[in-house]
Formats: sequence, structure tokens, C-alpha cells
Amino acid sequence: MGRRKSSSATGGLAALFILCVASLVLFTVYVKEGDGGPLHTVQLGAAEVLRPVRSVVAAGAAPVSEAQQKVESAFDTGEEERLQRRVRETEELAAQASRLERENARLRELLEGERTFYEYGPLARVVAPVGDQFTETIMIDVGTEDGMEPNKPVVIGANTLVGRTTEKVSKSTAEVMLVTDQMFAAGVRIIPPAQFDPASGELSPAVTTEDVSYGEGLLRTNLEGYFGVDYVDVSSRAEEGDYVVTSGRAGGRELLFPPGLLVGTVESVSSQDTVQYKTIVVDPAMNPDDLEEVRVIVDW
Amino acid sequence: MDQTSVVRAALIVAVATLLDAVLGPYLTFGWISPKLTLIGVVFAVSPLRDPQAVLLGFFGGILFDALGAGLFGTGALGGLLAGTLSVRAGSVRRKGTERVLLSQVVGVAVAAYDLIYLTAINLAGLRGPSFGEYVVAGVLPDALLNALLAYLIGGWLLKIGRTKSRSWEGT
Repeated sequence: MGRRKSSSATGGLAALFILCVASLVLFTVYVKEGDGGPLHTVQLGAAEVLRPVRSVVAAGAAPVSEAQQKVESAFDTGEEERLQRRVRETEELAAQASRLERENARLRELLEGERTFYEYGPLARVVAPVGDQFTETIMIDVGTEDGMEPNKPVVIGANTLVGRTTEKVSKSTAEVMLVTDQMFAAGVRIIPPAQFDPASGELSPAVTTEDVSYGEGLLRTNLEGYFGVDYVDVSSRAEEGDYVVTSGRAGGRELLFPPGLLVGTVESVSSQDTVQYKTIVVDPAMNPDDLEEVRVIVDW
Repeated sequence: MDQTSVVRAALIVAVATLLDAVLGPYLTFGWISPKLTLIGVVFAVSPLRDPQAVLLGFFGGILFDALGAGLFGTGALGGLLAGTLSVRAGSVRRKGTERVLLSQVVGVAVAAYDLIYLTAINLAGLRGPSFGEYVVAGVLPDALLNALLAYLIGGWLLKIGRTKSRSWEGT
């Protein structure tokens, strides 16, 4: 009996060692293979298989999320605001009967708001959030069959940048990395409100002239954890309330995003005498929790 | 006498992993999320033999890696560790304290998994949070909450994980 236990423990140790090595090998392969490798393909296939289940769960979770938001907001407001909220909730209930009509109108508006010269993919529904606590990604229900490709900008409305598609694009789904993800980066310009129309995405001609020194930099979630624009020169113009839009080009190179897509507004600007760049914090124009339908710009 | 079927344990691990992959993203609050895979592994494999427990832990972890969108291999390592800790704890358990002991094992396994993931993120060249901040605001509450969750559902998991053997099989 004792011998059997001992051999079981030895076998367990051997298995543990071998499987530890196997795990490390898998991790190394996964990191090195790139987005099109076999292990990424396995995850993509699994996501495809789980898509119907995730859709059902997403539909079921929607009321829970709404309730959660209401509960959260209930804790940080005063009595007056609570009463106002109750009035709003009553109004919402009264308007619920026409919800489908309004949604229809909204979708039509989204389709009509297309920018000239841009080729949009079909309206895509957000199927589910994916990823873990370190990533901000969502899955949408359009894929290669709908003309989707990796690394294409994803917008809400005609003009508000949500993120970009990753390499994980299957026949009928695509993964979207949100602008707030730590791996997301985009070249942006900082434009005064007077010279940019966020609804149409139209830039004032003054912005395109070379002698105007508006802030330009790299949009990303900073190492310190805030969402902002890095590498904006201290001498450039950047003020609180300015719009942050994609620049579209870096010198002579065309970037992943067309120019003029709205990313957010400047929340704060600060600079230190000893640092060459400004510290700019951005309030994103999109809220990940509110995403329902998005569109992919497939060509421009 | 109670026994545990390997097939039943594997089914528990598989279902827990599936639930984790589907429900996990909705139940993630910052750095804290229920680690159903690890809870399933810990409670399902504790009465098994060492090699079986380790293999099932690996199976659960690799399944989680495949169904999720995280770094491949980290779930497998976490599952392996959970399986190993669970079977070690299982070998010294006292009657009646199994649920408490295994809940503690879940807490340790979750903390270890969180640290493995943070290491993996840094090794992969991604930007992770600072170690101290992550340990205080992520690892500790995550481990405690998962241990609590494990304690709450542990009795039920132990119940469905065991089969009653007939008297002539009880040797």
C-alpha cells in the first residue's frame, strides 16, 4: 500500500514537471507565433463556437447591466438627484413602448451619417466583451464574409472612433480592440472646438495648413494608467476642452486610421519645466458599457 | 463509501471552465473575477491520485486557455498548480474540514494564478500594473473573494463530485 502511494506521488511529480514544461512551451509559442499562429487560431475557433452561447448570455445580461448601472448611480447622488432620477425612470417606462421605433430610427441615422469617400461595413452588433482584466476588447457579429479585415478602424455613428479590429477575424465575428486598451495606439491631433465639427468630422481648412502648430502625439493608455496623448511638444497648442482626433498621417506615412475621427476631448493639460512633452489626459468619446452597434470602415 | 470518478471530475472541470469562459467577462470587476475553472479543479481533483489530479488540472487550464482570450499557457500552469495543491491538501484532510481546507487552497491557487498572469504579461512585453499595487488591490481581494465563493459552492461541488459505491466495491 505504502509503495503504491509512493509510486503515485512520484508519477504525479513527473507529470507535474512535464506538464509545467509543456505549459511554458505553449506560452512561448503563443507569444512568438503572432496573431495568425495555430494557438491564436484555436482561440478564434473556440470564440466562433461559443458565439451563440455568448449572444444568449449577452442578451440575458443586458437588463442586469442596466440594473447594475442604476444601483451604482444610486449610491453617489443626493436626494434631489434621486427624485429627478425617479422622474426620468418613470419617463423611460412611458417611452419603453416606442423603444423599437426609436432604435429603428437610430440605426437609420447611423446608416445615413456616412462620410463621403469612406466605405463602411454593415452595421455590426456587439456580441460580447472578451478578454481578461488587462484587456479592453469586444466581439462584433461581422466577419470576413461581410468584408471585414484585420486592423480596420471601428466607429460609432459616422465619426467616433471606438477601436480597431485585431487579427482575430473569423467568418462571422471580429474582435475589436477598444481605444482604451493598453495595447491601442493612434496618431492624433488636438483641435480647438471652433475648428472641428464632431458630428460631421469636418476639419476647418485652417487645421490642414502647415503653419498652425496644434498638438500632435500618440494616443494610448499611458504607463501611469491614464488615457492620454503622449509626445505632445510643450510649445504646441493644447487646451482643456479641445477635441482629440486622428491625424491620419505621420510625415509621409499613412496610418491605420483616416484623419478626423473623434477620439475624445482633452480633460487636463499640464507640463513641467524639465520635461519636453505635455501631459494630456483625454476623456474618451465612447463608453465601452454603452456600445451596442458599431461599424467598421473598410476603406477610405 | 464515497468515491470519485475521474470522468465525473473531468466533467465538473469542463463545465466550470465553460462557465468561466462565457460568464467571466461579465463578472470581471477591475482585477477581480470569479475563477470558476480553478474552483472546479480544486474541488474535483482533491480525492484523485497525483497523476490524475495533475493531468485534470492541466486539462482544465488548457481548456480555459483555448476558450478564453488570455495568454495561452498561463491557464494551464494555473490549473496544474491548483490540481497539485488540491491533491496535496486532499491527502491530509480531516473528516468534516474538507470544504474549509479546499476553499483555502482555492485562495492560494487564485493568488498564484494572478501572479503567474502578471509575470506572463511582463514576459510577453505587455504593460501590466505595478507589482505592489496589483498585489494589494488585485491579488489579495481576488484570492479572498474566490475563497469565499469556493466555500459557498464547495459543499455542493463536493456532493456532486462523489459517487456512492456499492458495498462489494468498497475496498
